[in-house]
Amino acid sequence: MATLLDIVTTAAILFAVGAGLLIVFGVMKIINFAHGGFLTVGGYSALAVTRLGWNPWFSLAFAFVIGSVCGMIIERLVVRPLYARPLDAILATWGLGIIIGQLITLAFGREVQFVQSPVSGAVELLGSSYSEYRLLLVGIAVILALVLGAVLNATRLGLVTRAVIMNENLARGLGINSGLVRFATFSLGAGLASLAGALITPLSSVDPNMGVPWLVNAFMLVMVSGVSLVSLGVACLVLGGAQVLVSSWGNPILGGLTIVVLAALVLRFRPQGFARD
Amino acid sequence: MLGIWAIVALVLVAVGPWVLPTYMVNGLIRAFLYAAVALTVDLLWGYTGILTFGQSAFFGIGAYAVGLMFTHVGFGPGYATMAFIGAVVGAMLVAAIVGWLAFYHGASPLYGSVVTLVLPIVVSQILYSGGNFTGSSSGLSGFESFDISIETWFWIAGTFLVLLTALAWLFVHSDAGKVLVAIRENEQRCEYVGIDVSRVKILLMVVCAGVAAVAGYMFAGVQMVVAPEYAGFVFGTELLIWVALGGRGSLIGPVLGTLVLDVSTSYLSGNLPFVWKLIIGVAFVVVIVALPQGLMPLITGFVRRLMGRGGAARSEPAPMLAAVEEEPFAGLQGAGSQALALAGVRKNFGSLVVLDGIDFVAGRGELLSLVGPNGAGKTTLMRCIADGGERSGGSVRVNDHDIERLPPYACVGFGVGRKFQNANVFDSLSVAEALRIARSRLERPSLLRRADTLLLPEAALQVIRATGLDRDLQREVRHLSHGEKQALELAMVLALEPSVLLLDEPTAGLTKSERTLIGGILVDLARNHRLCILLVEHDLDFVREISSRVIVMHQGRIVLDGTVEAVVDSELVRTIYAGGMTPRSGAVA
Amino acid sequence: MTSHSRSCRLAAVVAVSMGLGSNVHAADPIKIGIPVGLSGANSVVAPSVVQSAELAVEEINANGGILGRKVVLEVADDGSGAAGAQKAFDSLIFRKKVDVLISMETSAARNAGLPIVTRGKTPFIYTSFYEGRSCNKYLYVNAWVPDQQVAPIVDYFMKKYSAKTYFLVGSDYAFGRGMLEFTKSYITSKGGKVLGEEYLPMDGTDWTPIISKLKAAKPDALITSTAGGAPNVTLTKQLRAAGITIPYGNLAVDEGTAKSMGIDAEGIYISGSYFTNIASPKNKEFLAAMAKKFGANLKTPNDLSVPQYEGVYAYKAAVEKAGSTEADKVIPALAEVSFEGPRGVIKMNKQRHAPLTMYLGKVKADGGIEVLETFKDVDPGEQCPKLK
Repeated sequence: MATLLDIVTTAAILFAVGAGLLIVFGVMKIINFAHGGFLTVGGYSALAVTRLGWNPWFSLAFAFVIGSVCGMIIERLVVRPLYARPLDAILATWGLGIIIGQLITLAFGREVQFVQSPVSGAVELLGSSYSEYRLLLVGIAVILALVLGAVLNATRLGLVTRAVIMNENLARGLGINSGLVRFATFSLGAGLASLAGALITPLSSVDPNMGVPWLVNAFMLVMVSGVSLVSLGVACLVLGGAQVLVSSWGNPILGGLTIVVLAALVLRFRPQGFARD
Repeated sequence: MLGIWAIVALVLVAVGPWVLPTYMVNGLIRAFLYAAVALTVDLLWGYTGILTFGQSAFFGIGAYAVGLMFTHVGFGPGYATMAFIGAVVGAMLVAAIVGWLAFYHGASPLYGSVVTLVLPIVVSQILYSGGNFTGSSSGLSGFESFDISIETWFWIAGTFLVLLTALAWLFVHSDAGKVLVAIRENEQRCEYVGIDVSRVKILLMVVCAGVAAVAGYMFAGVQMVVAPEYAGFVFGTELLIWVALGGRGSLIGPVLGTLVLDVSTSYLSGNLPFVWKLIIGVAFVVVIVALPQGLMPLITGFVRRLMGRGGAARSEPAPMLAAVEEEPFAGLQGAGSQALALAGVRKNFGSLVVLDGIDFVAGRGELLSLVGPNGAGKTTLMRCIADGGERSGGSVRVNDHDIERLPPYACVGFGVGRKFQNANVFDSLSVAEALRIARSRLERPSLLRRADTLLLPEAALQVIRATGLDRDLQREVRHLSHGEKQALELAMVLALEPSVLLLDEPTAGLTKSERTLIGGILVDLARNHRLCILLVEHDLDFVREISSRVIVMHQGRIVLDGTVEAVVDSELVRTIYAGGMTPRSGAVA
Repeated sequence: MTSHSRSCRLAAVVAVSMGLGSNVHAADPIKIGIPVGLSGANSVVAPSVVQSAELAVEEINANGGILGRKVVLEVADDGSGAAGAQKAFDSLIFRKKVDVLISMETSAARNAGLPIVTRGKTPFIYTSFYEGRSCNKYLYVNAWVPDQQVAPIVDYFMKKYSAKTYFLVGSDYAFGRGMLEFTKSYITSKGGKVLGEEYLPMDGTDWTPIISKLKAAKPDALITSTAGGAPNVTLTKQLRAAGITIPYGNLAVDEGTAKSMGIDAEGIYISGSYFTNIASPKNKEFLAAMAKKFGANLKTPNDLSVPQYEGVYAYKAAVEKAGSTEADKVIPALAEVSFEGPRGVIKMNKQRHAPLTMYLGKVKADGGIEVLETFKDVDPGEQCPKLK
């Protein structure tokens, strides 16, 4: 039972972390390696909230806003020229991640710090006690998925975004301002990453490099999901579940490898991953 | 020239320990070894276009071979040798597996990079999970190691770097080295010229892995500490940063860049490392976005301008052109009774049918033109003949060999040569280099030298001479005119000595005289050299002049197959071109 | 850039730096190198360690320095790990040319630094508790080893809670493994049973699978030995969030870190050689001086930072006894001198290690420690029998 909860909560966390990266990849066809940096920004936003003594719940919204603003600046300055060079985009955004990390270090110091959790303690669930915060994360991830899905499928912005995802040139030919869509998408993706960062820090800690381990896992999950939020969810459950199983029954360190290795193998034999084609 | 530089470098290395402070000597030993790994990254990324995050993994394997052997087994000359062999063989094995995974035919470059990203993560995590055996987070340290002074290590590491750089320099300027650039520029063209690109990449990766492992071996030997960070992803990206800043694809740039950057970083303390890292990060981003060739070319370009040389041409003397001995085309040696036999070839994209059951046979000496309106499936058909993986159904036999699902380079082996519609060549190579790449299936390129003669079949020579390219052999292809590029591509395809020649709109964009010339050559090839030529053309006059047979396609099917007269005067053809044909009726009028 | 101009440039740099460095002066300051984890796992505790050293140096300089020479600190970040320690030690020993290294570090960093210490022939006073049996010609240790620290907790659990079955969790490196190996054999020798032993890498933050295993095993008590700072906090947070309430003995947490864990730390049993509420006059003096010097920025003095203060004074005593800072003279002197500090009289005369007074304590809700038992002058055991 605890294992099942572990799987679901792990999948939820992975989904929250990966959603922003997926959207950016879908619209802009580039992998944003600064995603880890945005996660860190979110973590430190939560730290700032703790330091200022505000309500910890506020850190989510705060992180989202800060992340989006950072995203806007970066899209303007760095991401635009790289659309045609996807491999270079990986490198340049990685460089951006480094820059973000160093700026954070200079501002907040390099040591490991801790953030207050909005809820703590455990709840009794189906015979065993389980971390309340982790369960909460499942709820938040579901809400996130629903909101994103709604935006993409039921709003005009979503429609326009999906058009750009499918065929940018055609969309532009139809008069859609794809530059604006990319700008909005990147900012949203950055905001989501930042939000995810704020979500994960109460469970552990913040330090200037906290985003890096998440980056690679998120990246592999996105690669294996194509451009669909649904397949991202599936991937998170399947691969995240595999990770939990390997960690629980085998070695937790090798468990950390599961997502990355399985994703690479899946892609080798089915390049479209979990997507429907 | 290279020799002089190498000797100067060796002298500097020899003198170093006496002149430099101990701290810098220590730091430089590490930097030399890092630079050696950066060199391999440049070969893979700068020259061949493989964005690799994984060279650090091989470095780590080399280092841990030392750590594990000396900690758990013991130290001694025998053990040291075993560790060396283990390091190199282990790294090469891993590289072979990674290469198989990452460079399979049809893999996207992004996937390849993803695999090289996963590699160091897997290796470092395995090291972390090794408990007391690998030392996990602590790594291994305090093991007994070589009793060599720091000065001697400096000489060893420095000499290693100099020799490696010299070898790499020779390789990169040799004919084989140009294959790497060709792959980076235009992998598809390489496949269609008969180069097994996957194999080249895997081979390169294996060699580079071995070199990185040796560097790691030495590193562990001198430092006497190994930690999982040395095999990790962060170190792998640091290597990329050094190569990018130094100047990818320039060999010396990455080496110098690594030395300068690594040594300067170790001199910073306090908060400066973070400001410095910030500066490096910014420089890196700027370089990637705006100066993809790094900082080195700025320097070399400046120097070159000072010396009054333009960059558009090679400075070495041009190779001599010579004709291949009068033998039947190499491709013809494998010629079967039927040059080309297609049966029931189908191609569909989902529910869209592009080719619907194509059957025909062509023999040697035929000059077959494929005509039909746009969207008829002509180019798709070409693709299905040249690439076994392209069609959805049916069979294709070239010279009696079934091409099954084989990739383009294998089809070249059966005798197919394909010229594309748009000039599909290598922009940053010279004309001579491009031609030599085309010859590489028949003449193994040297690993260390450039041959000074270029053998080409008579037909290719004709094309080169007639278009004046023989006077421009050292010119970079990007500076050629459109017509010249088309001619070059044709010459390259002819240089393959194919027995089945596929040409996609060879006359597009050519002048009248050029067209006559090409026509003459094609006729000669078919009649005298007994090639089977398949031609896609829109210029019906050209078709009428040179073809021995015409096939008309419409909406994925063959609607007419006969002599020039029969087809050209046909009512049906006129209707098709005028758009009056009802879909899918297919009947011959 | 031609190689000729490059070698010219190199020669010029060397000449200038030699000129700048060649002020051989009688009044040359004595340099104490402090490689410490300013970033990474230990970064939670490192600031307190640096503060201790700063106070010691300030006091010593105010009283005329060592042998009339001023004392200067050189701090370097070792990243709490092996790779960073290499750079830090290299920089301190060969570039800054320190006379001694006095510091608290993770075992990963210490092990990586020792070969460099040997090569540089620099005395190294290690001020952190650790898993024991690290022996080097130049190394002295003034903090506790498992032989001094583990018994109180296990004995207490067995007595008070009748704990027979135990679950062990640690960080996967020399310290975590070494401590738990000792603990396991001690528990077994006292008739107890170890149900599980799980590790996560030093920088790991997700203890979920281990906590699930812990719950499934249903032990009587939990004993952990993670790296000093961050892993303690993340593990404790996650344990409490998962509702773990069995007796919890933490072999590797200090008072300062316990404070930063807040309410989650309540009820944790710790065993150490220093708590701020030790009632000796020396401790009160020390705490007053720290409060005065650092005011609001004071980081709670703890079992990782106080040995640092005492280590600096031990070095002073040794240099004064030897009459010079030369390693060959200072090394034997370090075993002969003693210093009375907040932890009492410390003398590193047992195979490079020191007998220490140990305390068993329990963390209170306000972060303070309730001392349950005291053990005077506990012997460190056979740590380095082969070293003189």
